[in-house]
Amino acid sequence: IANRQLIKYSKLHTYPSLANGAARVLSLVVATLTASSSSNTNDERVEELLSLQSRSKSGIIRLNDQSLSRFLTSVATPRPYSIVIFFDAAQLHDKTELRLRELHQEFSIVSSSFIANHNISHPSRSKLFFCDIEFKESQFSFTQFGVNALPHIRLIAPNHSFKDSQPMDQGDFSRLAESMAEFVESKTKISLGPIHRPPLLSRNQLILIVVAFLIWIPFFVKKLVSGQTLLHDPKVWLSGSVFVYFFSVSGAMHNIIRKMPMFLLDRNDPSKLVFFYQGSGMQLGAEGFAVGSLYTVVGLLLAFMSQGLVKVKNVTVQRVVMMFALLVCFLAVKQVVFLNNWKTGYGIHGFWPSSWN
Amino acid sequence: MAASDAPNGDVLIRNAFGSVLAFLILLLIGVLAFSIRLFSVIKYESVIHEFDPYFNYRVTQFLTKNGIYDFWNWFDDRTWYPLGRVIGGTVYPGLTLTAGTLYWFLHSLNIPLSVETVCVFTAPIFSAFASWATYLLTKEIKGVGAGLTAAALLAMVPSYISRSVAGSYDNEAVAIFALIFTFYLYIKTLNTGSLFYATLNSLSYFYMVCSWGGYTFIINLIPMHVLLCIVTGRYSSRLYIAYAPLVILGTLLAALVPVVGFNAVMTSEHFASFLVFIIIHVVALVYYIKGILSPKMFKVALALVVSIGLAVCCAMVAVIIALVASSPTKGWSGRSLSLLDPTYASKYIPIIASVSEHQPPTWPSYFMDINVLAFLIPAGIIACFSPLSDASLFAVLYIVLSVYFSGVMVRLMLVLAPAACILSGIALSQAFDVFTRSIKFQLPSLSDHSHIDARDASSEKVVLDDTIKTDKNEDTPKERMTKRSKKKEKEPVEKPPTKFQIKKRLSVLPFEASIIAVILLVLLVAFYVVHCVWAAAEAYSAPSIVLTSHSNDGLHVFDDFREAYAWLSHNTDVDDKVASWWDYGYQTTAMANRTVIVDNNTWNNTHIATVGTAMSSPEKAAWEIFHSLDVKYVLVVFGGLVGYPSDDINKFLWMVRIGGGVFPHIKEPDYLRDGQYRIDSMATPTMLNCLMYKLSYYRFVETDGKAFDRVRRTEIGKKYFKLTHFEEVFTTHHWMVRIYKLKPPKNRIRGKNKKSKSKTSSTTTSKRKGTRRNPF
Repeated sequence: IANRQLIKYSKLHTYPSLANGAARVLSLVVATLTASSSSNTNDERVEELLSLQSRSKSGIIRLNDQSLSRFLTSVATPRPYSIVIFFDAAQLHDKTELRLRELHQEFSIVSSSFIANHNISHPSRSKLFFCDIEFKESQFSFTQFGVNALPHIRLIAPNHSFKDSQPMDQGDFSRLAESMAEFVESKTKISLGPIHRPPLLSRNQLILIVVAFLIWIPFFVKKLVSGQTLLHDPKVWLSGSVFVYFFSVSGAMHNIIRKMPMFLLDRNDPSKLVFFYQGSGMQLGAEGFAVGSLYTVVGLLLAFMSQGLVKVKNVTVQRVVMMFALLVCFLAVKQVVFLNNWKTGYGIHGFWPSSWN
Repeated sequence: MAASDAPNGDVLIRNAFGSVLAFLILLLIGVLAFSIRLFSVIKYESVIHEFDPYFNYRVTQFLTKNGIYDFWNWFDDRTWYPLGRVIGGTVYPGLTLTAGTLYWFLHSLNIPLSVETVCVFTAPIFSAFASWATYLLTKEIKGVGAGLTAAALLAMVPSYISRSVAGSYDNEAVAIFALIFTFYLYIKTLNTGSLFYATLNSLSYFYMVCSWGGYTFIINLIPMHVLLCIVTGRYSSRLYIAYAPLVILGTLLAALVPVVGFNAVMTSEHFASFLVFIIIHVVALVYYIKGILSPKMFKVALALVVSIGLAVCCAMVAVIIALVASSPTKGWSGRSLSLLDPTYASKYIPIIASVSEHQPPTWPSYFMDINVLAFLIPAGIIACFSPLSDASLFAVLYIVLSVYFSGVMVRLMLVLAPAACILSGIALSQAFDVFTRSIKFQLPSLSDHSHIDARDASSEKVVLDDTIKTDKNEDTPKERMTKRSKKKEKEPVEKPPTKFQIKKRLSVLPFEASIIAVILLVLLVAFYVVHCVWAAAEAYSAPSIVLTSHSNDGLHVFDDFREAYAWLSHNTDVDDKVASWWDYGYQTTAMANRTVIVDNNTWNNTHIATVGTAMSSPEKAAWEIFHSLDVKYVLVVFGGLVGYPSDDINKFLWMVRIGGGVFPHIKEPDYLRDGQYRIDSMATPTMLNCLMYKLSYYRFVETDGKAFDRVRRTEIGKKYFKLTHFEEVFTTHHWMVRIYKLKPPKNRIRGKNKKSKSKTSSTTTSKRKGTRRNPF
């Protein structure tokens, strides 16, 4: 919900009068041109699109007002191809909350995987084209599609006009390339095949890293033998192990596997945040870390008292610090016990002799 | 020094007194560990619990009746029909052999206990052993005090209780003891460098391999510890003695267990140990050469050895990688893979993800299972680092690994529990040590006549007893040395205590704050005891074969499972096949003695998927599947009437998922309305027509007229329907188990004929109604 609100705020400023006027003239010209052409223009258009596609690296065709009408309005429906358009605006690239760059990147991954999965002779290859249009270049098309909020991706099926083409929902690009591909697959019935993400490291980088690693090994072994590495510092090991402990008891693994959010919005009152979830089967991220740190801090304070504080010579300092530490420990334990009883609903009780009651 | 004047005899008597006291405490800890696990017997009865224990019980019965050779060659045709199962080759025999040995031993003493009684009490007995083993292990790490505390904590840690109450006759019951004992022997070998203990260590490892698949934890943890010791420059010949025999003897012995066999050398779980085995030899060679060469020569030789060693290592690594890469799962089993990549199981293996004990835990699980130990562990970790020894490094590694693994799978909380107890024991014992020392040295009444040391200007007081305390603490460093080195380093050993004493005098905390701290710690431990007793009594003692519920009108006992199994064994033919979801397979074979299609040993996913598919199919398709498997009876567990939540309807989505994983015509979305699983009037037609729904809710409306399901808290979607291919033969008292019989095939053919006839004549339809009437 929050995402959508953000997008609505950054509506585009369109200039309808100017753009409309120019485009009307253009479309007239185009219309007269296309009226004369016969059905074999379809093959020309496909050829044209394929050649445009081969020019771009990811296979995304950059369209503008003219080319858009050339490939869409001027071709009689049903067109021999579907077009997926990514609506881009360079001026909004610096607004990180819109994620335009990231989505464009994902869009190009979908496009390039489609091309990689279908070679040029494949029948589906000429059935689907991935295009993008830029706001500054093609304001008229933006108004024609009625696009006034970004990010926006639209599929124009063979017999769609501007208005009844299908926009992609928020949910369809939530999971990035995979969900975009699913959307396109379900609407066009063209299988895109597996998504090929570019590897994190290119081949050359990988070779470089391996070589660097091999060179580093002898130096490391030398250091290791002389005992001078970071590994020989117990403090590193100590903080590492305490961190792993904290990480695990806070249930962070559960949050990762179940993809839990840090907190939830209160259903009754959207302005409030819910940090603690009642019911023992589930936990929220912030909740886990809060309790995890309570678990850890008691132990750390206890260790501090029995190992660090004893070496302090000033009795008053010892006394004050110790009282403080004991208070913190007591409150932390009390809080965890309280939270646990609240969350699980267990009533932990002792078993006393019945005569005591 | 005043302390050194203390007579030797006095110290001896005090030491002897301490030993006797420690022995008595250990005895009491054993009694505690045993008796806290008897709640299940007192509250319910002496009965085997849950699912897997029934299988183990059945195997033990077979073992005691037919002897060990028949047990080894046992092919069980009562399960996984028509495939069967080679029990001798697919079961971890440790538990069964232990209980069998116990049984034979008792009978040789003319104590005629039944097999069931022996099985029920095996787990409590071994938890007492486990707490003694914890004492030994912790004593090796941090001394007697920590050992006793850790043993007491382990005796009642809820996580361990959950798997070892009387009646919970499962592998873990003996395996945790074996685990701790193996670790103890490893540390003992490490501290003494004795080959005797190294051999015992391998034998103990063998026992562990016999008992539980969790032995891979040992064979990965110990190599990691060895590697860590090498990397941090702690290599010694003791390390070599502790490790090398374990790998060789341990692997050879492990390969003797049929269920492990060549896995001991072929799967990735074991490769770490071989890799470290190579590394330790390279390192040992380096140290040896260092010993015989002059420093200059050594530098030259080092370069040579390191390069050769690296080359050998690289070659071995390449071979291992090639071996691993050639197997489809990269040589890892699904469960181990899901430890390394926590999201693995939930993505690829529904049969692992479906089991509730394989879920990742939340923070309340930690509080439930290790309780206040969760607070103490960080202090224990820090205590292990000051000073760091080989043994305490092991404890740290153990806790770090097990706490990480427990974060992935709630089941591995069990492996965490001993580590948590050891470290909390260390922490508690150290804290008590400091606080009580502070109180003792500053007691106002004692301060007058114990003020001896004039050197101490900082107003700290000393008591004569100090020597005893230091002596006790001295024990541990002494034990870490070999006998030879003890003789050599006798004088250096004498020195540290004197330094220690001086330091000790200074290191005290304020008197009143220490008293508060001790009180708080005692309260904390008291809370732990209360929690553990509560957990043992209320949470973990239910046998889940007999259920009870408290309501306003008193206690209700639901004994439906045994009722149903008894019905099966009395009313069906010996060779009849009973189909049910795999959870009830072990119980059916053990209690009803009937052949089942699938059981809790989930070795054949396709077979389970077949049953899942049948349960999620419409009646006719399900009948065909079951008929093709010669099934005569179908058993479903239904909790809707009494509100028993873990029934088949709640497990049903897993049947769909597992079935759909093999047979793609079963699709999960068909059973969900808008992504929600529901059985009310909004449920999908596929859901309302599947076999599981029909068998569960058949005639349910007759109970209260509304057909209100108390588990799902809703009225069911389809209330009035008839069964065409199944007939109800038995429903237990509380409707928890319902047994249906497959109608014979000729009935179906007659039905078909009638269907074609019914178009022409209306009389046959009325006749059909008559034949279809249910006997109930």
